[in-house]
Amino acid sequence: MKKTLTVNLAGSVYHIDEDAYVLLDNYLNNLRYHFRKDDGAEEIVRDMEARIAELFTEYIREGKQVITIENVEAVISRMGKPEDLNGNADGKEGEDEGEERASRRLFRNPDDRVLGGVASGLAAYFGWDVVWVRIVLIVAGLWIHGLLLAYLIAWIIIPMARTATEKLQMCGKPINVSSIGKTVTDGFEQDGEPTGDEKSRSRMHRVGDAVVAVVGFLLKLFLILVAICFAPVLLIGLVVLFALLMAATGMLISIPAVFYEALPYVDWGMIGTSSGTAVAIAVCGLLAVGIPAVGLLQLVMQGLGTWKPMSLTVKMVLVLLWLVSVAVGTVFLLQAPFIEYSYFM
Amino acid sequence: MNVDNVKSQMRKGMLEYCILLLLHQEASYASDIIQKLKEARLIVVEGTLYPLLTRLKNDGLLSYEWVESTQGPPRKYYRLTELGERILSELETAWDELSDTVNHLRQKFLTVL
Repeated sequence: MKKTLTVNLAGSVYHIDEDAYVLLDNYLNNLRYHFRKDDGAEEIVRDMEARIAELFTEYIREGKQVITIENVEAVISRMGKPEDLNGNADGKEGEDEGEERASRRLFRNPDDRVLGGVASGLAAYFGWDVVWVRIVLIVAGLWIHGLLLAYLIAWIIIPMARTATEKLQMCGKPINVSSIGKTVTDGFEQDGEPTGDEKSRSRMHRVGDAVVAVVGFLLKLFLILVAICFAPVLLIGLVVLFALLMAATGMLISIPAVFYEALPYVDWGMIGTSSGTAVAIAVCGLLAVGIPAVGLLQLVMQGLGTWKPMSLTVKMVLVLLWLVSVAVGTVFLLQAPFIEYSYFM
Repeated sequence: MNVDNVKSQMRKGMLEYCILLLLHQEASYASDIIQKLKEARLIVVEGTLYPLLTRLKNDGLLSYEWVESTQGPPRKYYRLTELGERILSELETAWDELSDTVNHLRQKFLTVL
């Protein structure tokens, strides 16, 4: 005995065995992935679906009622595996498969969740065992009262891994045709026969997701309103922050004066100076403080999956800029005492 | 040298020309074209045709219209556009020249056969 499903292919309904369905779904997903760089990717796959529907109709006309896995295998060998087909005009197909880097992103895991799938997502991100993450979270939650709130915020902010690609990114696995196919199959296997306990739990998930969606929306609205109301205040805050930064730079500049006091025999004037020195020090100071700050922000936002990872070039330029600013800043700072010295002359 | 690879490259280059040639006579839908190409032993797997058709359509060489079918889903009937006809006649000349050259060489050097 076999379970059958009903599928709609190009507007016609077919009964299909469960295993045949998995294979067909897998095949269509692989096609979609193979043609993803072509102009009319969706159209190509849709047309091929129509052709598959036509072939199925032929099988049905032969007197069969259900599409079996043998039928699907026959169709696939007739249509051709993705690697046998050429897409992507230039004909450099085949080589780019599996080339996409295995970058890890933080997602909530929809396949293994008690509440929002946050613990499961974290476990996948760091490669830990989800059971331990949950135990630690619960035990820590008993002592740290903010943790529950942090969990809810994580539930709101971290996106759910919806597509096969996102699920692979969640675990840091490379994205290629075979791994996507595997995810599709795995996901299908996990969905099998829900028990009574799972049913009540999935109802809880729906309620939880709805609440989180509403709260998230309200929170965004609230933040936007706050931003509008306090825009002038924020601007002033920014100016104050900038002023503080400049003040801090000034403080840094005055430090070498101590060296000057302590080492009166060193000929500081030997290094030479100009009126632009102070500006140069300020710029170097801003870069030396600002670049790590931006880097930290990027790290956090990238971890949340909100920002895209920086390209290697940008990273290199920033690191180089930081090194140069620190080096130049240090040299100028050593010259700084001479500025004060010249004031008194 | 991979003989199969060279063969499939030769076929690939001809395929677009042959599709245009097939559609020059009459509008037809994908399965008809597949049938004819298979008879001519130009394609092995059917999936090869679909990206080609979509590309030729996106490049403005083909246009299509939906025609209801009594047996299964509605069908896309492709036909040549004016641009398609023009390019077909250009390819016609190119093919003539190419086959002349190859035949000439064959006659000259393949006298053993």
